[in-house]
Amino acid sequence: MPTNRYCIKLGGESGQGINTLGILLSRAIKSIGYNIFSYREYPSLIKGGVASYQIDFSNQYIASSSKNCNILTILDPEAVHEYLHSLNPRGILLYDDSKVEFTPEEQAWITQNQIHVIYLDSEKMAVEAGGSPIMANIVMTSFLWKLLEFNPDDLANIVKEIFASKGEEIINKNILCLNAGYNTAEFKDEYSQRAYIPTLPTEKKENKILTGNDAIALGAISAGVRAYYGYPMTPATSIFKYLGNTYKETGILIKQAESEITAVQMAMGSMAMGTRALTATSGGGFDLMQETISCAGITETPLVIVLAQRIGAGTGVPTWTGSSDIHTAVKSGHGEFPKAVLCVSDIQSGYILIQQAFNIAETYQIPVILLTEKQIAESLFTVETLPQPLQIQRGMYDGENRYSRTDNGISPRWVPDFNKKPYLNTSDEHNEISQSTENGEEIKAMSDKRMKKMDTLLSNLPEPTIYGNPEAQTVLVGCGSTKNAILDAIATGMNISYLHYDYLYPTKTQTLLNLVSSGKRIILVENNQTGELGKILTEASGYQFEEKILKYDGRPFFVEDILNIQI
Amino acid sequence: MAIDINEYNSNLKPTWCPGCGNFLIHMSLKKALSELDITPSQTYIAFDIGCNGNGADKINTYAFKGLHGRAIPLAAGLHLANRKFTVIADLGDGACFHEGLDHLIHAIRSNYDITILIHNNQNFALTTGQATLTTDEEKPMYGLPDSKPERTLEPSEIILSANPSFYARGYSGDMQQLTELIKAGIQNKGCSVIEIMQLCPTYNEECTPQWFMQRIHKVEDSAKTLEEARKIGTITNENINTGIIYRNTELKTYYELQENRKDSQSELVDEVNQYDIQKLFDQFK
Repeated sequence: MPTNRYCIKLGGESGQGINTLGILLSRAIKSIGYNIFSYREYPSLIKGGVASYQIDFSNQYIASSSKNCNILTILDPEAVHEYLHSLNPRGILLYDDSKVEFTPEEQAWITQNQIHVIYLDSEKMAVEAGGSPIMANIVMTSFLWKLLEFNPDDLANIVKEIFASKGEEIINKNILCLNAGYNTAEFKDEYSQRAYIPTLPTEKKENKILTGNDAIALGAISAGVRAYYGYPMTPATSIFKYLGNTYKETGILIKQAESEITAVQMAMGSMAMGTRALTATSGGGFDLMQETISCAGITETPLVIVLAQRIGAGTGVPTWTGSSDIHTAVKSGHGEFPKAVLCVSDIQSGYILIQQAFNIAETYQIPVILLTEKQIAESLFTVETLPQPLQIQRGMYDGENRYSRTDNGISPRWVPDFNKKPYLNTSDEHNEISQSTENGEEIKAMSDKRMKKMDTLLSNLPEPTIYGNPEAQTVLVGCGSTKNAILDAIATGMNISYLHYDYLYPTKTQTLLNLVSSGKRIILVENNQTGELGKILTEASGYQFEEKILKYDGRPFFVEDILNIQI
Repeated sequence: MAIDINEYNSNLKPTWCPGCGNFLIHMSLKKALSELDITPSQTYIAFDIGCNGNGADKINTYAFKGLHGRAIPLAAGLHLANRKFTVIADLGDGACFHEGLDHLIHAIRSNYDITILIHNNQNFALTTGQATLTTDEEKPMYGLPDSKPERTLEPSEIILSANPSFYARGYSGDMQQLTELIKAGIQNKGCSVIEIMQLCPTYNEECTPQWFMQRIHKVEDSAKTLEEARKIGTITNENINTGIIYRNTELKTYYELQENRKDSQSELVDEVNQYDIQKLFDQFK
C-alpha cells in the first residue's frame, strides 16, 4: 500500500447502516481537508449478508482503493471472518460484538501480523451515555476517530449536519455517544495511528464528494436533457434517483417505464420530436434496448444511452464491478449502422462526456452509448469544481428531404414544427425522400450515406490521452476506472506512461501505432476477461496486444494491482 | 372549412391487397384529421410493422415507422416532448396484443394523451397469416394445420381491465362511423384506444363484408360503468358492437399528474438550453 494514503474499512451486515456510516465518515474526513475515495462492496439483497465500505484518504487526489486497510471496523461478527485478511500488518481490528470467536488459523494470522484487536462494548456504552442501542455505530465511529487522533469537533459537526432533520434530541444523544466513544478509557497510546496518517495538504480546498452517477446526472441537466426514462437496474439506478430528487428544481420529466424497451423507445420518440431525453441501464437491460439502437441507427434518430456496467453474463454479480460490456456496446444492434461509444472514468469525464454524447448524437444523428462502471457509478470521489460545460451543439438544419445525400453523410434534420414541412423517419431501408425501397442501388447509396458519418465523426474525435512519463519504456493502455488506479500509481512515482481512451468507437489509432513503432512495451489493462477494449483497438489498428493484465473477479483494480506490475 | 384531404397524401399509392380494410382505415384517418383541421405538420404518427405500417410512406404527416410492437411507447415519447402535436400510434393486433401487450396496458394506465388505432384483422398478415390471440380457435393457420392450441382472448377485456379513458370499436367497412370515432378519440383528453375490426380478404377470407354486416350493431350511448362496457364490448358469434364503448372523463392525463410540469406553459422541445448547475452542485457536501 502506498504511503501517501491511509485506509479505513467498515464491515458489517448488509442493511445495518454501513452505507450511512461510510458517508458520514467520508464527509468528516473530507471536511478536515483530505481527499477521499470511498468504495462499497455489498450483496444483491436488502437485509443480511456482509457488506463493506472502504474509505481511502490522502493529501493528494486519489480515485482508487487500496487492496488492504489500516483499520478494520466490524459491526457484525460474520464480517470479521470475511474481511480480517484485508488488514495490513500492524493494523487494527475494532469490533463490537463479544460473540466473535477466531479460528486457530485466524488467531495465528493475527499474531503473526501483529494486529491490534480491540473490542468495544459499544451498545452498552451508547446506552450508558444516554443514547439508544442503535447509536452504538456512533460510539464505534468516534472511537475510530480517536485512533486517528482527529479533532472530535470535526466529527461532531458532520453528525449534526447529517442528523439535522431528526431534531435536537436525537442530535444531542448522538453527541453524547460521540463523546463516550472518543473519551473511553479503552484507548491506549499504542493504538495511535498518527504515525501512519499522511500529513494534511498545506492548502485547504472547498471540496465536495460526488458519485460518478451524480456527475453524469449533473452533466445531463447542464446539457439540456428534459426527460429521463428509466427502469431500475444496478448500477444505473442512482442516475434516476438524482434526477428524480431534483425534478422540481430542474423541471425534467421523469418516467419509470414498464421495461427497458419502453424506456429507450420513449427516449427515441422524445428525441425525434426534438427535445433531449436520456435513459440509463445495465447489461441485461441494455440487451433489451438493442433493437432500438439499431432502429435509431437506420432512422438516423439521435439517441443517448448510459450503460452502467457490472460484472458477468446473465444476472452475473449484480452489485460488483467490471467492464465486460464494451464489446456489447460497440457491436450493439442488428445490421450495420454508425454509432459512437464513449467511456466515463471519473467525475470530470462523466460530467463532460454525457454532454459530448448528446452533441455527437444530435450532430451526427446516431445512437451514442456512454459506458460507465459500478466502480465509478457508486464510488465517492473528491471534487473541487466541475469543468466548464460544453456548448450545446444540435446540428439542426432545414432542407428539402430528411435523408438527402450529402458529402459528410449528415442529412437535414429539423425540430418538427407546425410551420415546417413534415417528414417520415423510417426503419425500412429508404431513399432520400423517406420512401421504403428494395432497389439495390438505393439500398447501397443510403447505406453508404449513413456510414460516411462514421468517417466524419472519426476525423473530429480527439486522439486518446497520454498520462505519466512519456519517456517511460512501459505504456499501459486502458479505459474507464482502470485509469484511476493507474494514475494513482503514477502519482506515487511509478515510472510508466498510460494511454487512456475516452472515445472508444469509432476508434483513433495513430497515437497507439506511434507508441508501437517506437518500440515501447505495451500492456493492455482491463477489468474484464477477454480484453474487450483491446479487441476494438486491434480491429481498428491491426496491432495485436502481446501483454494483457485482465481482472474479472468483480473487484476493481486496486492501486497495488498496478504497483505490482513488473516494469 | 375542412383541409383538402389530398394534403395528407404522399405521392405513393398504397400497396395493400384488393379489398384490404387498410384502404378505408387510412382514408378515415386522413378524413378525421382534415375535418378536425389538424394539418399534416400538426400530426405525428408512430407506425408499427405490419400491413398497416406499410401505409407510413403513403401519408404526408410527420411520422416515424419504428419497430414491431413498439409504436405505443414511441408515440408516448413523441407526445410528452411536445403536447401540441396530435400523436397517433398505428398498429395491428399482432403488434398490440403479442409483441407489445405490456406497452398497451401501461399506456392506458399512464393515460398519455395519445390515440391508439389497432387494426384488428385477426392475424399476422404481413408474414402471411399466422395466428394471433384474436384468430378463431378452430381455424387452421400458417404452420398450424390443426389450428392454434392457445385460447382466444378478447381485446375488449384486455383494454377495459386497465380502465381506459376512451375505448371505441369501429369497422373498416364503415368509413363514416370510423371517421367519427377517430375524431372523438383524438379530441378525448387522455389515452384513446380504438379497436378497428378490419377486413383481410387474403388471410381471413371467412369474415367477408357480409359476415361483418350480419353481426355489427352500432351502440349509440357509451357504457356508464366498466361492467356495462364489458357486456357491450364482448364479441359473440352473432354480435359485434361498434361505437364508443366506454369513456372515463374523470381521469387525469399523465402530464397533468407531473407535479413539476403540470402548470408549465412550455414544452420539453422548447427547453433544450444550457442549464446552470451551480446551485445543484453547491448542495453536495
